[in-house]
Amino acid sequence: MTQHFPALLIIIPLLSALLVSAMGWIDRRWCFPLAVASLAGALAVSIGLAAHVMAAGPIVYKMAGWRPPIGIVYVIDYLNAPVLVVILAVALLNLISAKVWIEKDFEDKMGAYLGLYLLFLSGMVGIVATGDAFNLYVLLEIGSLTGYALIGLGKERAPLSSLNYLFMGTIGASFYLLGIGYIYIATGTLNMADIALLVPQLEGSGTLFLALIICMAGLFVKMALFPLHGWLPNAYSNAPSASAGLIAPLTTKVMIYAMVRVGLTVFTPAFTFARPLLSEAIVWLAIAAIVSGSLLALMQRRLSRMFTYIIVAEVGYMVGGFWLGNKAGVTGATLHIINDAAMTLTLFMAVSAIIWKLGSDKFEDLQGLFGKMPFTMIGFVIAALAVIGIPPTCGFFSKWYLITGGINAGQWGFVAALLFSSLVNAVLFFRIFEIAFFEPFAEGHGHHDHGPVFNEAPVTMVAPLLIAALSLIALGLYTGDIVTKLIQLALPAGIA
Amino acid sequence: MKFLAMIAVVLTGGLLIFHTGAFPDFGDANSPANTYLSPYYLENGQADTHAPNVVTSVLADYRGYDTMFETTVVFAAGLACFFLLRRKQKPGDTPRMYRHLPTGVTLHIKEGGTLPAEDSAVFRRLDSEFVPHQIIIKNTCRIVIPFIQIFALYVVAHGHYSPGGGFQGGVLLAASFILYAISHDLRRAIRRFPEKVAALFGSMGVLIYAGTGVLCLLFGANFLNYEALAPLLGVSPVMARSHGILIVEIGVAFAVMAVIIWIYYNLSSAGKHDEGL
Repeated sequence: MTQHFPALLIIIPLLSALLVSAMGWIDRRWCFPLAVASLAGALAVSIGLAAHVMAAGPIVYKMAGWRPPIGIVYVIDYLNAPVLVVILAVALLNLISAKVWIEKDFEDKMGAYLGLYLLFLSGMVGIVATGDAFNLYVLLEIGSLTGYALIGLGKERAPLSSLNYLFMGTIGASFYLLGIGYIYIATGTLNMADIALLVPQLEGSGTLFLALIICMAGLFVKMALFPLHGWLPNAYSNAPSASAGLIAPLTTKVMIYAMVRVGLTVFTPAFTFARPLLSEAIVWLAIAAIVSGSLLALMQRRLSRMFTYIIVAEVGYMVGGFWLGNKAGVTGATLHIINDAAMTLTLFMAVSAIIWKLGSDKFEDLQGLFGKMPFTMIGFVIAALAVIGIPPTCGFFSKWYLITGGINAGQWGFVAALLFSSLVNAVLFFRIFEIAFFEPFAEGHGHHDHGPVFNEAPVTMVAPLLIAALSLIALGLYTGDIVTKLIQLALPAGIA
Repeated sequence: MKFLAMIAVVLTGGLLIFHTGAFPDFGDANSPANTYLSPYYLENGQADTHAPNVVTSVLADYRGYDTMFETTVVFAAGLACFFLLRRKQKPGDTPRMYRHLPTGVTLHIKEGGTLPAEDSAVFRRLDSEFVPHQIIIKNTCRIVIPFIQIFALYVVAHGHYSPGGGFQGGVLLAASFILYAISHDLRRAIRRFPEKVAALFGSMGVLIYAGTGVLCLLFGANFLNYEALAPLLGVSPVMARSHGILIVEIGVAFAVMAVIIWIYYNLSSAGKHDEGL
């Protein structure tokens, strides 16, 4: 059965999405356990795959039994094996944490909600696992379409935010598809490995170069790289808490993975990084993203909105690191995909627990939170330290690689932007610690202050949060293994 | 801002149009797209899958995995429309129109008013945009709908040989139902094909597709490798591929039909499933 694991990885969430959405009409009580069980199963499969890849090398799975350029293949290699594990772990932890939210917000539509949740996940898993450039687009459609729906039923102006996201997302996906069309015109094939074999013969092809630019532009829209980030803050901060914890950690990160995949194994590093002017321009775009994301985050007065601008800055980290085009930079970008997914998940789970108890995530309502919700705040603090980049949390190590990459490339602007953003993050989070820990707490009646009363979120919220927070430290401690046993083996020979 | 956007659009469009000059000529037999993979499909398609229509063999077999997800996209769209639009409402939340049949008097019942019984023989529910004397439309549709449906089944079953297949056939089936809903009224269509049935048919259609793939897996072959079904169907492996294509096309037809009807119910009545177009 092991040889069929790459197929199972996506069949399990897909089939359970169908069953769960059907169960919503028959007996709603089965929906949630079924969804959790399927995600746990898929997570187990992905861990098995990662172990297999580390022991025996990449796996190629031929869908429908056709050999690669004829049919579609799934390729599990050193690059995507860890990303798959992280995606499924994020989805599972967030689903458990969001249980109370789903029961409250979507009681009579639980089947549909969980069905969309699982379909979104199968889209994300498929994007990461596929070895076919067009199949990536098909799965992108699934991931986007379900994402719009998951966001659309949120608070305040969520439908409008979702509509904006839909317009931008559709434009991005269309650009990617157009790029694939250009690749097909130039090479006549859609299989990623096959395109990579043909690219060296087409060194000077204008069509292929335009294909690279169009694909990347499409992915930049989907990952919300500054200045194409306009849709992200509203969409993520107005989304229902249950969806925000799924979509915020996954969508942008998976799109960055797609950028790395397309850049490294479709176009090959020799072609992707062949034009210093292009790489330089994109790195400067990333620097702008980091600086403006950090500054805009400073201006926010709500936790979830602040996090969305931190995401905008983090996208800049990874895009910049990748387009430095050297070993440390690409390693840092890839490592940061994993770390940032875990960090964003922890932050959004913490804010979802806070909103569950306080009904708000405005800064002025956070007073006394360390006393009220100590366990949630432990998770929050660890996530904050990781985002700032303090060892031994994982955020430190990926930032270290990124800065090393910047120094090796002589790109001092990028190094400065990273340091600046770390400082701003420190300001952002210590400001919140100050409000939540030190500011006078004025809920008690009269002049006598009793201090905050212990009022923690339910255990189904706190337990996944603490697991995610501990994983941030674990990821940090095992950085060496992740880099030497997986990521560095994934980098093609062309990267110095 | 609008000006900047305009410049960006013009520049991008100009670049794309300018570059078309570097493309191979239209129909160029020596372009990569025509020399690399396409010859394989054209030369071996029929031998591999026993489907003379090469589009079908690529769509449902060589790249059948893509098509499974295209079907899933359709299903996801239906699910998303339901999730975002559907609003449960009690009778009496909105004004309603009734005709008292013996006298021919039309009654307008406001919110919260007493409604006649659902199966009353004396009162008949009217849509608020009721148009009298639609007898020609009703009867024309009554005659046309069975033919549309038979043609739809032909399109589904004949996808191997001629243009067609599950997507097109499913759309035709759905269109026949939507025609019924338009020519009569939405409530009657929903009574014939309830929302629950539409939703379950939608997931069942995709389940037929994915389930066929899983069955291949259980027989020891790769996902969606229909050859594995040969012992089950009692035919040669190549014929098994042909039959496999038919099975998944039927799944697609189910999913597309049910989902389009489901989307129509939700869109035309703004999620209330009461008065439609």
